[in-house]
Amino acid sequence: MLPASLDEAVDALAAAPAAVPVAGATDLMEAVNAGRLRPAALVGLGRITELRGWRYEDGGTAVLGAGLTHARMDRPDFAALIPALADAARTAGPPQVRNVGTLGGNIVTAAPAGDTLPVLAALEATVTLARAGASREVPVSHLLTGLDPVRPGELLTWVRVPLLHAPQVFLKATGRSGPARATASVALVLDPARRAVRCAVGAVAPVPLRPLEAEAWVAGCIDWDGSREIDPAAGAAFGEYVAAACVPDNYGAEGAWEAVTEGPTAAAVRLRRTVSVLARRALGRALK
Amino acid sequence: MTTDPIETLDADPLGLAPQVSRELRPCASYTLRVNGFERPVTDAWIGESLLYVLRERLGLAGAKDGCEQGECGACSVQVDGQLVAGCLVPAALAADSEINTVEGLSAGGAASDVQQALAASGAVQCGYCTPGMAMAVHDLLQRNHRPTEVEARQALCGNLCRCTGYRGVLAAVQTVADARALEAEEAERAAAAAAEEAAAEASAEAGAPVAAEPSAVETEPVIEPPVYADAEAWIEHVPQQPSAPEQDQVQVQATVEQPYGDGGYDTGVYDTSALTAMQPGIPAQVADDQVYYQPQGYPEQPYQATPAHGTYVPAGYPDGHQQQNGYDTGYDAPVYEPTPAHGTPLPGALHDGTPPHGTPYPDPHGAPADGGAPAGVPTTGVPHGATPAHGIRLPEDDHAS
Repeated sequence: MLPASLDEAVDALAAAPAAVPVAGATDLMEAVNAGRLRPAALVGLGRITELRGWRYEDGGTAVLGAGLTHARMDRPDFAALIPALADAARTAGPPQVRNVGTLGGNIVTAAPAGDTLPVLAALEATVTLARAGASREVPVSHLLTGLDPVRPGELLTWVRVPLLHAPQVFLKATGRSGPARATASVALVLDPARRAVRCAVGAVAPVPLRPLEAEAWVAGCIDWDGSREIDPAAGAAFGEYVAAACVPDNYGAEGAWEAVTEGPTAAAVRLRRTVSVLARRALGRALK
Repeated sequence: MTTDPIETLDADPLGLAPQVSRELRPCASYTLRVNGFERPVTDAWIGESLLYVLRERLGLAGAKDGCEQGECGACSVQVDGQLVAGCLVPAALAADSEINTVEGLSAGGAASDVQQALAASGAVQCGYCTPGMAMAVHDLLQRNHRPTEVEARQALCGNLCRCTGYRGVLAAVQTVADARALEAEEAERAAAAAAEEAAAEASAEAGAPVAAEPSAVETEPVIEPPVYADAEAWIEHVPQQPSAPEQDQVQVQATVEQPYGDGGYDTGVYDTSALTAMQPGIPAQVADDQVYYQPQGYPEQPYQATPAHGTYVPAGYPDGHQQQNGYDTGYDAPVYEPTPAHGTPLPGALHDGTPPHGTPYPDPHGAPADGGAPAGVPTTGVPHGATPAHGIRLPEDDHAS
C-alpha cells in the first residue's frame, strides 16, 4: 500500500493497526530477510513528499520531515543548518543505505548504534506522533527510553530541532575505516544563548546517554563572553568525566561472577578510553 | 480445469513448505518497471525483497545475493535513479518505480564503457561483486563527471570485494571519466565547427549573417563496435501470449520459438540469418531449431583430443610453428618423446638400462660374474652380488651365534 499523503497514511494505519509503516526499509528488510519479522501488511511512506523536506518555525526551530533521507541530510545546505546531524548522516552507512534510510526510521528503530540518535538527544529534539485526527509531541529521549513509546496506529511525522547557530560536533569510533556500526559515538553541541554544553554518548548503551553533571561542570569552565577557550587539562578531565559517567564498571561483564569482581572490567576500561578521547576531541573541535 | 491436488503439487513438488494461511502470508500483485519494461509480478509475498523478485521471479540474475543485510553491495540496483541495495527494498513498495539493473547497462548485448573498463583494468576476479561495482561506478559517474579518488572511494565504500582489492576499480573509474570527458570535448568541438561552417555558408549565400542553430547541427553518433561479435544477432526474448494452434504455423518465421517453453528463464536467442550474414566464413549449424555458433578466433581445424601417454606426436608443421598435442605452442618446443619401458636401453647413455631384479651386478674388477665367490666363503646357492632370497642363511649369521 502506497499512500500519497500523510492523511491517507494515517487512515491506512488506523484501518490496519497491525500494518508496518515502511520508509527506507533498511532495518525492516534486514529483519525480514533474517526471518525475525513477518509483516502482516506494509504501508509505504516513500510517496509522502511532504515528509521528505523541512520547514522553519518561529522561535528558531527547524521542523524536519521523518522521511528525510541520510543522503539528503548530508548535502551542504542541510549541513549549514544542523552540522552534527549532517556529520552523523554522512557516516551512517554506505551510499546504498544512506540513499533510502530516513531520519524517522532511525528514531523508530532505535538501534543502539543509530548514528542520528545521540545528535537528536544532544539537541533535545521533540518528535510529532500523528494518528487519525490527532497528534502529540514527545521528547525524543522519552520516546527512545520507552517512557512514552509509539502507540499502535501512530506515525512519526516531524522532528522538531532547535537551530542553535553554534558549533556542533559528531564523532564516531568504528571497527574499520569504511562505514560501519559505531562502537561509541559522541555528539556535542554548544548553546551560547543558555551558556550550556550538551553532550550525548551513543552506542555504549541501548539508548543515547547524557552526562548531565559533566555538561554542567564543563559549561562553568568555558569563558562564554571571550574567546571560548578551555584549558586542555580541563578538556581531558571532561573526557574522563563523560566516560566514567556513561560506562559502568561492570560493562561487558558476563554473568554474576565477573560482575562482583572489584574494579572495572577490561571491556569497560577499553570503552572508557574510547569515549573519553571522543568527548575530549569533540569539545576541542567545538571550542576551536 | 485443474484439480486441487495437482495445483498443490505444481506449487510445491516436494511437499516441503507447510500450508500457510493467507493471513499469515499476505501476498500482493504488482507491476515493476525494470529497465524500461513492464514486468508483472503476481501473488508474491509482501516481504520479498526486490533482489529476490528480480532474481527468482523475473529471471534477472545480474544483481547478486551476498549478505541480505545491505553490507556487501553485490545487490546494488537503481530505483528512481538512486543507488540502493536491492536486498533491502520491499519489492511491493518499488511498484511503479523506475528500476535499473546491471542488465540495463549493457544495452543490446554490448558491454557499457564502465563494464569494459572494469574488465580491462583487472577489476574482476571471481566476479561476484562486479555487477554491484558496475552499478556503483555507473551511478557515481552519472552524478559526478570528474570524481577525485577520494570521491570514488567514498562512492564505492558500500561494495565489498575480497578478491582484487579496489585499485582496479578506481583505475576503471578514472579511465571512464577521462574517456567520457574526451568524447564530450570532441563532440563539443565538432558541434562548434559545424556551427561555424553553417554560419559561414549562410552568410555567403544570403549575404547577411544568420545565427546558426546548434541544435540543428547533427553530430554523427559514435557507434562503438560491440564487444561480442554475435551481439547484433541476439534477439531479446519478449514474453508472448500463447496463441491459438492454427496461428502458430503462420508465426514461425516471424518469431523465434522459445526454447524453454512459456514462462521459463529464456532471455533471448541468436538470429540465425544475422549470424551467417556477419560471419560468412563460418556456417551456422542449425539443429533442432537451436543455433550453435562457433566464434571467430579459434582454430578452424577439428578438435584434437590430447593423445594418450607415450603416443608419438609429429613435431613440425608446415607454417614453421611447433604443434604439440594439438595446441599451437608458437615457439620451438622440445619434441615430446614417450618414456621407454623398463629395461629398454637409452640410445644416448653408455649403460644398458636398469637390469631386471635378480640380475647379478657386473663386477667392475673383472671378477667372474657368476659363481666366482672368493675362496673361504661358503656358497649359499645365490650368485655373488645378488640379494639373497629370504630364509637363506647368510655367512654373517654364523658370527651371531
